[in-house]
Amino acid sequence: MTITTSRHPLAAFIDRFYNGQALLPDSPDNVKEVVGILVSYGYVLEAYQENLQHIADQEFLTIFPFFKYFNNGVSSSQLFKHFAHDRINFEYAEYCMKVMLWHGGGKLEEYVESDDFRQLIELAIQAKIKGNPVNQLLHRLFPEFLPEQVRQMVYYNALGQFWQVMYALFLDLGKAYDHGQITTIPDVVGFIKAGLVAAAGNPIVYAVKIGGESYDILPRSANLTFLMDVAVPYVEAVFFRGTPFLGTVSYNAQAGEIPLEQSAFAYGALYADPLPIGGSGIPPTLLMQDMRHYLPDYLHEMYQNTKRQESDLLVKICQSFQKSMYCVTSAAILGLAPHDLKTNNPQEQANNLAYFESWMDRFLTSQLRNIQG
Amino acid sequence: MLSLLLVVPLIGAALAAWWPGQTRSIASVIALAVIGWTVFLLTQFNLGEPAMQFVEDFTWIDSLGLSYKLGIDGLSLPLVALNSLLTWVAIYSSDEKVDRPRLYYSLILLLNAAVTGVFLAQDLLLFFISYELELIPLYLLIAIWGGQKRAYAATKFLIYTALSGALILAAFLGLAWLGGSNSFTYNPTLAHALPLSQQFLLLGALLLGFGIKMPLFPFHTWLPDAHVEASTPISVLLAGVLLKLATYGILRFCVGLFPAAWQVAAPWLAIWAIISVLYGALMAIAQKDMKKMVAYSSVSHMGYILLAAAANTPLSFSAAMIQMVSHGLISAALFLSVGVVYKKAGTRDITVLEGLLNPERGMPVIGSLMILGVMASAGIPGMVGFVAEFLIFRSTFPVFPIPTLLCMIGTGLTAVYYLLLINKAFFGRLSPQVQDLEAVTWRERYPAMILTGAIILFGFVPGWITRWSEPTIFATLQPPAIVATVATISTPDLQP
Repeated sequence: MTITTSRHPLAAFIDRFYNGQALLPDSPDNVKEVVGILVSYGYVLEAYQENLQHIADQEFLTIFPFFKYFNNGVSSSQLFKHFAHDRINFEYAEYCMKVMLWHGGGKLEEYVESDDFRQLIELAIQAKIKGNPVNQLLHRLFPEFLPEQVRQMVYYNALGQFWQVMYALFLDLGKAYDHGQITTIPDVVGFIKAGLVAAAGNPIVYAVKIGGESYDILPRSANLTFLMDVAVPYVEAVFFRGTPFLGTVSYNAQAGEIPLEQSAFAYGALYADPLPIGGSGIPPTLLMQDMRHYLPDYLHEMYQNTKRQESDLLVKICQSFQKSMYCVTSAAILGLAPHDLKTNNPQEQANNLAYFESWMDRFLTSQLRNIQG
Repeated sequence: MLSLLLVVPLIGAALAAWWPGQTRSIASVIALAVIGWTVFLLTQFNLGEPAMQFVEDFTWIDSLGLSYKLGIDGLSLPLVALNSLLTWVAIYSSDEKVDRPRLYYSLILLLNAAVTGVFLAQDLLLFFISYELELIPLYLLIAIWGGQKRAYAATKFLIYTALSGALILAAFLGLAWLGGSNSFTYNPTLAHALPLSQQFLLLGALLLGFGIKMPLFPFHTWLPDAHVEASTPISVLLAGVLLKLATYGILRFCVGLFPAAWQVAAPWLAIWAIISVLYGALMAIAQKDMKKMVAYSSVSHMGYILLAAAANTPLSFSAAMIQMVSHGLISAALFLSVGVVYKKAGTRDITVLEGLLNPERGMPVIGSLMILGVMASAGIPGMVGFVAEFLIFRSTFPVFPIPTLLCMIGTGLTAVYYLLLINKAFFGRLSPQVQDLEAVTWRERYPAMILTGAIILFGFVPGWITRWSEPTIFATLQPPAIVATVATISTPDLQP
């Protein structure tokens, strides 16, 4: 049903929002696929967030954090597993962190660039380098180096906090689906939106312990919150912009294959080409490799019933993951809408339409059309 | 001993035709038995003996002068081994649900026996009978299990190759008649005694006959059609073994029986080789169908063998031998890979296919084997194709420098058309038409893998091919006294 007066090429998707639908069409298969992949994503995020928090807390200003991926201590058997690649790809979590750090956004970026932050972290830095002449010399010679490391630690911590909420949300979604409480795509979107809204105001705080004393890095007084200062920048950085470098495809900057402006980047998960060769996006391969270990049986069964069965598992996971990310994005778009969609106020209606069209502009070159089949 | 190489596949053909069920298994076992017996012959073969070995000689039809005389020497042994190997490969790579399996497998085994008969026959008439006998199963294999235009392709194949047979028969009858012999036993001295004009006449008929079968320009047109319409296993046999009947015939009969006339004709043959090499390569560049491209590549590569034969030196003969085996392995591997692509994608059109090397959704192993195959065909070092082509150019350059240089352009063109194929069909992003392909099974990969292994192995140890044939080649090329008398006959000057 056509509701809006938009002439946007993707106006049909705006209509879907007004019809209570989402960017992904509603079908039992889509529900099964999206929930199944989000459950596996939940398990992976749980591991990722643990490691991110571990690095932020335990590897704070460790110049050479050789064992940062070893949350549970280092042993020869764990080292062997690590080098044999029998492990979670924690690198992917770091890539996401670096993408967030690079693209910035929200009050979090403003705060880590503020003088308040600089003064606060100087206390932590001094405590950390106390009795370490090498690091003291380093700090003296390159006064921006350690603060930048702390900014990075902030993003480790913030992303860890974000995923701490999201993993639980996705695992709960899976349980709700198993209990028959989730049957449609709008149910999925509603569940995620409710989870995001519930956590929206959660404060983002970060402190480290050095020499038995706690040092604030992100104090409560900075008024940083879950949704606007972490979740939204995360979606912007990871779903939309991404980076052209952290994948398997080489891009030729000299040939103009990489936009000059960061804001024009479209390498995020929503743009990734599941068949990567020659495509414009990079599939999150490491994440896909991790998720395959946690796929629920019903998703395995679904994949097995295809022509290639699971010989192209990573492509299937990528496609399912993209579908699920469009559901998460749907939830975020709906949750951030400036006005109630049922408003009768013409100005508010116009604002809403402009808001949706601005999102649709960004989807023009994305995989949105390709996930409709 | 040698008769077993004929009898076993013939018994196998009968068993496959009449034994209820298990036809494929019977054919496989028989093909493996033939391989086993071939390996045994290899172990028993006296490497230092240039003459025929394991000779079996019985009078068959005395009034016709036909005798059942078999023998094997360094020229025929590698080709017998190639035939045994590729027959098994063809059976293994055949569709397990092929229609009319009894007839299908029995025809393949019959074809094997006929081809082996060609290589072993030491009686001209027996050679001709085997040469003709091979047409029937091959015609049926194309006509029954071929593609949409199979009737046209099979009939064209039959007409061309029957004409080839007729010319060869005419030459053999002429030889016996002009030589005043009542027997058709292979006897070089009989031919050497003929006047040169008669030798030219007979050599011309043989050259035309074998030229059609090889095939050489302009008698090649049956081959691309036959390849395109034939199923993959039949293409393997056609390119791998059947074309070698003609090249073998040229070395054995054209050079072996008429060395003096050959010496005179050689410069013209070198020109014919250039035309065939370059024409085949240029036609391959123009093709969109992968199989047709490989078929035209065969036309081009057969030209190298003619060039080597024309040079008429022991080294060039060794080069020709190794090129025969090399082409047999490489073209078979390429046809197998193309066959898998066609089976999965439903097309061989390189304007449609793209990105087949995609590790998840494509066919990366088949793509890799294809790349190795085209590398071998283009003469990349480390593979048997390089050894063959290098030896050919090394041996023909002192004799025919300009033709050799022109033929070397053909090698460059081989890289051009095969890079076009690889670039279009295998690199890039999977085209929409081939994004939902069935996965390739290991069973479908094994035949091309085995042949690729052999291509690489012989690339490093080419002596494992040449060691069998060198003594025979040296003996074959002992210049007869009569050759010295032909110096006055004019020939094109191909020296720089």
